[in-house]
Amino acid sequence: MAAETKLFGKLKTTEQEHKDPKEQLMFDPRPREELNRMVMEMMTTTTRKFWLWAIGLGAGVVVLLFGAWGYMISTGMWVTGLRRPIYWGVFIVTFVFWIGISHAGTFVSAILRVFKSEFRRPFTRAAELMTTFGLAAGALYPLIHLGRVWVFYFMVPYPNARWLWPNFRSPLVWDLLAITTYLLSSTIYLYLPLVPDLAMARDRTTGIRHSAYKILALGWRGTEAEWFRLKKAIQIFAFAIIPVMFSVHTIVSWDFAVSQVAGWHSTIFGPYFIIGAILSGVSAVVTILYVLRSTLKHMDYFLRPEHFDALGKLILVFSMAWAYFFFNDYLLGWYGGEAAVRQILTAHATGPAAWVWYTMLICNIVIPWLTLWNRKIRRTPWLMFIITLLINVGMYLERYTIIPLTLGHQRTPFDWGIYTPRPIEISIVLGTFCLFTFLYLVMSRLIPLVPVWEVQEGQVAHTLRKVGKAEVPSVTELD
Amino acid sequence: MYTKVVHMALFKEEQLDHAAESITRLRSLGISDKDISVISGIPFSEKILDRPMNWTNVGRIGVAGAVLGFITALLLNFGTPFLYPLRVADMPIFFPIPTSIVVTFELVMLGLLISTFIGVFVETISPSYGPQGYHPKVSDGHIAILFSGPMDLDQQFHSTFAELGATLEHDVEEEKLWL
Amino acid sequence: MAEVSKGIAEKWGLVVDQDRCTGCNACVVACSMENNVPFTGEDNVAFGRGTYWIYNKRMWEGAYPEVAPAFQPVMCQQCGSAPCEPVCPTFAAVHSEEEQINLQIYNRCIGTRYCANNCPYHARQFNFQDPDIPEPMNSYLNPDVTIRRRGVMEKCTFCVQRIVAGRQTASAEDRPLRDGEVTPACVAACPSGALVFGDLSDPSSRVSQMAQNERQYKLMDELGTRPKVTYLKGGGRNGG
Repeated sequence: MAAETKLFGKLKTTEQEHKDPKEQLMFDPRPREELNRMVMEMMTTTTRKFWLWAIGLGAGVVVLLFGAWGYMISTGMWVTGLRRPIYWGVFIVTFVFWIGISHAGTFVSAILRVFKSEFRRPFTRAAELMTTFGLAAGALYPLIHLGRVWVFYFMVPYPNARWLWPNFRSPLVWDLLAITTYLLSSTIYLYLPLVPDLAMARDRTTGIRHSAYKILALGWRGTEAEWFRLKKAIQIFAFAIIPVMFSVHTIVSWDFAVSQVAGWHSTIFGPYFIIGAILSGVSAVVTILYVLRSTLKHMDYFLRPEHFDALGKLILVFSMAWAYFFFNDYLLGWYGGEAAVRQILTAHATGPAAWVWYTMLICNIVIPWLTLWNRKIRRTPWLMFIITLLINVGMYLERYTIIPLTLGHQRTPFDWGIYTPRPIEISIVLGTFCLFTFLYLVMSRLIPLVPVWEVQEGQVAHTLRKVGKAEVPSVTELD
Repeated sequence: MYTKVVHMALFKEEQLDHAAESITRLRSLGISDKDISVISGIPFSEKILDRPMNWTNVGRIGVAGAVLGFITALLLNFGTPFLYPLRVADMPIFFPIPTSIVVTFELVMLGLLISTFIGVFVETISPSYGPQGYHPKVSDGHIAILFSGPMDLDQQFHSTFAELGATLEHDVEEEKLWL
Repeated sequence: MAEVSKGIAEKWGLVVDQDRCTGCNACVVACSMENNVPFTGEDNVAFGRGTYWIYNKRMWEGAYPEVAPAFQPVMCQQCGSAPCEPVCPTFAAVHSEEEQINLQIYNRCIGTRYCANNCPYHARQFNFQDPDIPEPMNSYLNPDVTIRRRGVMEKCTFCVQRIVAGRQTASAEDRPLRDGEVTPACVAACPSGALVFGDLSDPSSRVSQMAQNERQYKLMDELGTRPKVTYLKGGGRNGG
């Protein structure tokens, strides 16, 4: 009897060591004044390093993106590495990559909100911001890759002097509509929960910042009617933006799947792309959270190992789901016996660019599966930073395999080809990475990056409840 | 007619129970619900504060936008081919099913989401009823009970709120919060 | 135009007799001259950006030392259900109801290059740069065909300008089009008679007769694109 008690006693202490409630943001509450002060300081503190980065990235946007793009427009597409039969190269690869990245904002913010996952609270806005800027960077590519970008408006449906409306059967027109819908709605979805925090910033600033926040906060006071309306609108958005997000990446996958290119024409491409997008997007959230945590003042209070832990679990699940879809796509293509598809699969694994394929598998499957099951690794932010960065390398290479490597290996061996991106293309791709980082960097000092009211709401809702002799963390549903 | 004066009682965030209690007391002093409004830094449901149900048109405006999006999609899918019929591959020209479903879905969602936002925007900037006023402490987590009551009850208000541990503020209506 | 063509159900088609093809590439040259196809220069051709509306696939048949060259001239197959058409967002690739061929409208093209990816025959060409036509060469340009600027797709049209001219002549003389009256540049240039062009809707035309040949096959027929180009190849049994 005594031994048994001892055993139980020991178990209990280890349990308690692991689950010190103070480790969790929700059980480490601070008064609202304190939270506000921290967020305001986070927003207004700029170091020399910040300015150097901002200037460097800004120059990167001007030179690498707009300079190179302008040069390409003025001379023609011959500066790219595209050639027959590979008509889509890294521009489309990076387009799919950015659209994929943009999925996590919605995933983290909307899906976790709908399912009331409490760990989302401190970083919903960081994820939503990533969605908006990821889309802004990605939406440039359908323009960049056009042969005649100066007549891009031929695609836009509006009554025009040409008497011609776009072809609504084309997946590219669907892309245009879906990306427009997603960009507008994700920007609004970023803005709505921001309004109370803008009001908070309005009350604590002077001068030009004050005037700007005053306009943006729309005269927010926090009355019952305002909260009710806001909650209602956020609820509509959280539910409605999820199918929009699914449709966006499905349509991106349909750009490939509706064609009859061998290796593209697959009925599983829709869900396969969505899973890939969420995998790369959630990974990018972790990457960004690590950067935010190590560069922004007070961010280590809001972002804790528990968040990396929870996101790490999600990434592991999505890595497994990705592997499942990848294998499904591979196996059925191989089994189907169409010679062209089999040749492509063989070429991916043994061709001159086989390293792309193997790196993809290592980054997307081997690395997350070997590391993310471990709680310690998941709770070490810098390790998570490296792992998630590698996953995104893998996801980029996945798109690279699907686009140029598949196009170069179609049904007639006479028309096979190899594609190598040229400096202008690489410059533009790097330019959009600069654009994304630049916008994020600037925005991190302009808006409260932590949704203070949501964090406080969470902290009010979380209590330690006494059950028997133990204090158990519990959540109260305030609405 | 007596003159009504707007008071604001500020409760600290941990005094939520007192704030709820104060509303009950105000009612017993004869202040009706429409002369009270609560402003707070985080949302509290009506039940917590024992307040009348709120009401918003945002959902309805959103649905109206979705319908508008649906009509636009119908016109684009089934109307524009009549202006300039062009055949592509074997696809139907005038009844582009199933491709029209994609366009319809996107435009319905676009209509729904944009108009939900427009609904929020319009309702936010339209004049609201009930006592006006604001205090920056609200975004610091304080719960403010705004109420307008007759001058002659002033003494009782002060004693009630002092008892509940709140501070009373006057002249809170001055600040202009938007444009 | 519309009145002239009323009641005419044309269905232009081409037969390529691979057993007769000598691989001389005269069709490629004639096509380039007729259609103002830009010369992109040696380097671009070597890089894979040579623009050809018709190109000759050179292959070797048999095992060493018993090898023989085989030629397969490939041009746009003018599919009845063309994969390139529906994917174009701006209706630049459309089906011509009148000639039952597949047309590229250069002015509408914005250069998404989607059609080129989706063409299983790789028959579509992209203008990576503006055409560079040196001084005396500009007098050779065909005034019936527009010059394409950079950023647009182009491809074989079955010399639609010749089809229209032939139809207009016939209509002016108030008679139906005769078989063999319209010949695209490649057909006119072919010295061995490997290319035959005509109206497939007329069962007595030469092209219809040849398309019934037992040696006939279509390129990637299994994709369901319904090409208008028929290839003849006997596999050594019927000559060639």
